Amino acid sequence: MLRRFLGFLRSLLRNGKSIVGLILISAFLVVAFGASLFTPYTPIGEDPLDRLAPAGSNVPPAWLRSLPTWLGGDPALSENMVIVQNPGSPRLIADGGEFKLETANPNLSVAPSDISYPYPLPLGYKRYGGEGSLNVTYTRKEGTTGGEVKAVIFKDFDFPYNGPPDSFYATISIQVNGSTTVSGVPPVDKLKVPVKVNVFLGLVDGRKFPIWPPVENIYYDVRMPRGFTKDKLTGAAGPIERPLFGATVFDSVTGTFINGGWVTSIKNELSTIRSTSQELVNPKSVFPFPNDPAPIVFSSTPSRYAYGIEIVFVDTKSTEDVSTTVIIDDFGLLLKGTSFGLLGASHRGWDLFAQLLYGTRTSLYLGISVAFFSVAIGLVVGLAAGYFGRIVDEVLMRTTDVLLVLPGLPLLIVLIAILGASIDNLILLLGLLGWMGFARMVRSQVLSIRERSYVEAAKAIGAGEFHIVIHHILPSVMSLVYISLATSVPGAVTAEAALSWLGFYDPMRMSWGRMLNEAVVEAGAITSWWWILPPGILISLLAASFILVGYALDEVLNPKLRLRK
Amino acid sequence: MGLRNFILKRLVYSFVLILLVILLNFVIFKGMPGDPVQFLLHPWGRESAEVRMQQEQNLRELWGFGEPFEVQAVKYIRNLLMWNFGTSYIERRPVTESLGIRLPYTLVLLGGSAVLSILLGVIIGIMVIQKRGSVVDSGVVTGSLVLGSLPTFWLGLVFLLLFYNILRWFPNKGAFPDAWAFGWPVPFTVSSSYTSTSLSSVFSLNIMSAWTFVAGYLRHLFLPMLTLTVFSIGGWILLTRATMLDAITEDYIVTARAKGLTERAVLFRHALKNASLPIITSAALSFGFILSGAIITETVFTYPGLGAWTWTAIQFLDYTVLMAVFYIVSICVIVANVVADLLYGIIDPRIKYG
Repeated sequence: MLRRFLGFLRSLLRNGKSIVGLILISAFLVVAFGASLFTPYTPIGEDPLDRLAPAGSNVPPAWLRSLPTWLGGDPALSENMVIVQNPGSPRLIADGGEFKLETANPNLSVAPSDISYPYPLPLGYKRYGGEGSLNVTYTRKEGTTGGEVKAVIFKDFDFPYNGPPDSFYATISIQVNGSTTVSGVPPVDKLKVPVKVNVFLGLVDGRKFPIWPPVENIYYDVRMPRGFTKDKLTGAAGPIERPLFGATVFDSVTGTFINGGWVTSIKNELSTIRSTSQELVNPKSVFPFPNDPAPIVFSSTPSRYAYGIEIVFVDTKSTEDVSTTVIIDDFGLLLKGTSFGLLGASHRGWDLFAQLLYGTRTSLYLGISVAFFSVAIGLVVGLAAGYFGRIVDEVLMRTTDVLLVLPGLPLLIVLIAILGASIDNLILLLGLLGWMGFARMVRSQVLSIRERSYVEAAKAIGAGEFHIVIHHILPSVMSLVYISLATSVPGAVTAEAALSWLGFYDPMRMSWGRMLNEAVVEAGAITSWWWILPPGILISLLAASFILVGYALDEVLNPKLRLRK
Repeated sequence: MGLRNFILKRLVYSFVLILLVILLNFVIFKGMPGDPVQFLLHPWGRESAEVRMQQEQNLRELWGFGEPFEVQAVKYIRNLLMWNFGTSYIERRPVTESLGIRLPYTLVLLGGSAVLSILLGVIIGIMVIQKRGSVVDSGVVTGSLVLGSLPTFWLGLVFLLLFYNILRWFPNKGAFPDAWAFGWPVPFTVSSSYTSTSLSSVFSLNIMSAWTFVAGYLRHLFLPMLTLTVFSIGGWILLTRATMLDAITEDYIVTARAKGLTERAVLFRHALKNASLPIITSAALSFGFILSGAIITETVFTYPGLGAWTWTAIQFLDYTVLMAVFYIVSICVIVANVVADLLYGIIDPRIKYG
C-alpha cells in the first residue's frame, strides 16, 4: 500500500504541471496558516468605526513615494508617524520623558504621578503607553498676587514629508482638582482658580493652532459635586467621553452639571486633513473648527512642528490659599500618512496586505472543505445509483438531473440570502449544490465495473454487497475521487468570490471577494488599482494551481492519456 | 430502437423533468419566509385595520391560499405551463411583460459572446494544434487555464478600470447613453398619407441617427461582451485542443498523411470533422446556461438584462420573478440537452440510439 502510494507520488512529481501546482498550493497553505506571522496588522476591526485602524482612508502603497511620477509615483505622499512615544504616561525630559516645559512662574510645579484615566476604554479604542500621568499644580499662599499663569508642555518633531498627513489621531484626558467654594443653586463646588486648556499644533514661528477649539474657563471642580450622583446626560457616573471642545463642565444646553471625573478626547473625531488646497482658500469656513490646524500647519515642505498643551490658570483672588491641579493623561499624537504598507489601506484604514493574507485562509478553508463535502456526496450517490440500479438509480439520477438544470448561482444566492451568509452556510450550500457532475461520473464508472468478472466471482463466493462495494468497486473509482477533489476547489473558490462580490460575505472573515466588494461597492474606489488587482490575481492563481494538479493527476492515473503525446 | 423512438423518449423524459423542476420550484418558494400578500399591499397604506384585513382576505382568496396543497400545486403547474408567471411585487406589472423587455438584451449579450468565444476558441485551438509541443502551445494552454479560472466580475472590473477609468474609451454602465432618456435617436420613420383611394406609407431611413443608435448600443455592449468572451474563450481552446489531439492519433489521420495531404487539409478536413462532435454538443449545452451566467456580468456593468433583473429580484425577494427565472433557465437547459443529443445523432451517423 505504502509502496504504491510512493510510486504514485513519484510519478506525480515527475510531472511538470503537478510540481508547479503543488508548489503554489504549498505556498498558499503556508500563507494561510502563517498569516499572523507575516503581518502585524489585523484584516478587520471589531469596532465599526475603526478608530484603531492603522492607516489613513483608501491610501496607496508606501512604495509609490519613491516611484518616478511617470510610473504613477507621488512624491507628496506621507507615511504614518508616531509623534508621542508614550502617551499613557506623559513625562518631562527632566524625568526621563519626551516633553518640554515652558513656564516662568515659581508657583507652578510639574510632576509625574501614578494617577491614570481610570475607566475602561470602550470597544475599539486603544490606550497607548503605560500607566501614570503628568500633574501640573498651581499653588499660591495667602497675601501674594496671582494673575494669569501659563504653562506650556510640548514636544518638537520633524515632519519629513512633502505633503500633509491623511488624518491625525490626537488624544488627551484631563482632570482638574482644586480648592473650591460652594456656590449656586443647587450647591456645587466652584474652582477658586479656573483653568483654560488649549491643545495645539505649533509652527516654527511660534504660532499655535488649537486642535480643538480651546476649552474656556474650567470653572468647576470636576470631582463629584455635592448632591449629584449621576450624569444627567447618560444616566451613569463615569467619564465624560465627549470631544474636548465640549468639555465645558457646565452644560449650557440642559442647564445641569455634568458629573464625573475626567474629560477625555479619546472618543473624539479625527480631524481630516485631506483636501488641503480647498481649505486653504478659506480656512475660516472649515466646519466645525474655525481654526483647523491641518491645512495651514502641514505645508508642502518638510518642517519642524510642536505638539503641546497650554494651560492657563486664571487666578484673580489674592486673599486666601489656593491650589489647582491639572492631571494630564493619554496625551498622544499619531499622524496617519497618505500612503501605507505594501499594498495600501482600505477605505476604513485597514491594511490591504493583511486582508489579502487572511483572505487566503478563508479561500483555502472554504475551497478544500467544499471539495471534500461535495465529493463525498457525489461518491455515495454515484456508488448507490450505479451499484443498486433500478429504482434507487432512477430516483437518484432524476434528482441529479433536476439539480443540474436549475440555475446554480441564482439558487445559491436565494438560499444564502435566506440562511444568512456565514462561512459554514457557504460551505454547506456549495457542497450540496456541487456534487452532481461527479456523481454521474462515478455512476457510469460503477456501471461498467459492476459487470466485470471479478465482481461476479466475489458475488459467487458469497461476499456481501457492502463488502463488494467497499473492496472491489470503490478502489476503481478512487482515481476519479482524487481528480475531482483537486478540480472542484477552483469552482468553490470562485463561487465564494462571486457571492462575496455580490455582498454575501461572512462579516467576521475577510475574503478576496469581500475585498473587491468593499473596494468597488462600498468605497467606490475602482481606480485604486493596488486594491482591485491583487485579490483577483490570487483567486486565479489559486484556482489555476488546483487545476494544474488535477490535470497532472488525470495524466498519472489515466495512463492512456500519456500515449497521446 | 430508431431515431423516432429515441426522440419520443427524450421528449417524454424532458417533460417529466420540467414537471419535476416546477414541483421543486413550488416547494422551494413555498418554504421561503415572507407573505406575498404583505408584499403586494401597500406597506404604509392608510386604510383602517378592518379594510386592510378585508384586502388581505380578498387577495388570499384570489390566489387560492386556503385551498389544499395538491390543488395549489396543480394550479401552479398549470399556470407555469401556460406561461403565466403572475405579477412582480416590485415592478407591479406582469412578469412576462418585463421578461419581454429584458430578454433581448441578455440574448444579444450572452448569445453574441458565446458565438464569438466558440468561433475564436476553435480557431485558436486548431492553430495551437499545428504547433503542439512547442512553447506557443504550452503558453496558450496555460493562458487558457488562467483565463478560465479568473473570476468574471474581477475581469469586468479590470476592463472597467482600463477602458473606462483610464482610457475613457467605453462607457461603464447601462445599455444606452444616459442622455437618451430625454429623447431617443429615431433611426427610421414611417409616414402614412391617405388619399381618397389608397393609403400609402413612406419609409424613410435617417442614416445619421441610425448610426448614432447602433453606435451607442454597441459601445455599451462592448465591455460586457469582451468580459464574457475573454472569460469563456479559454475553455473552448482547451476543449478543441483536447478533442483534436484525440482525433489526430486515429488511424485515418495516418492514412490521410500517407496520401500526402497538407497538414492544413488533414487538420480541417479530416480531424476537425470528428473532433467537432464534442465541441458542438458542448456549444449546445452552453447555450442552456446563458441566462445563469448573466447575473455577475450584468451587475458589474449595470446592464439591464435578465441577470440584473434577477439580482434585483433576489435583493427584494421578488418571488414571482425568481420563480419565472428559475423556470425559464431550467427549460433552456433541458431544451439545450435535447438539442445536443439530437445534433450528436445527426452529425455522427455511427451513433446508435438505445
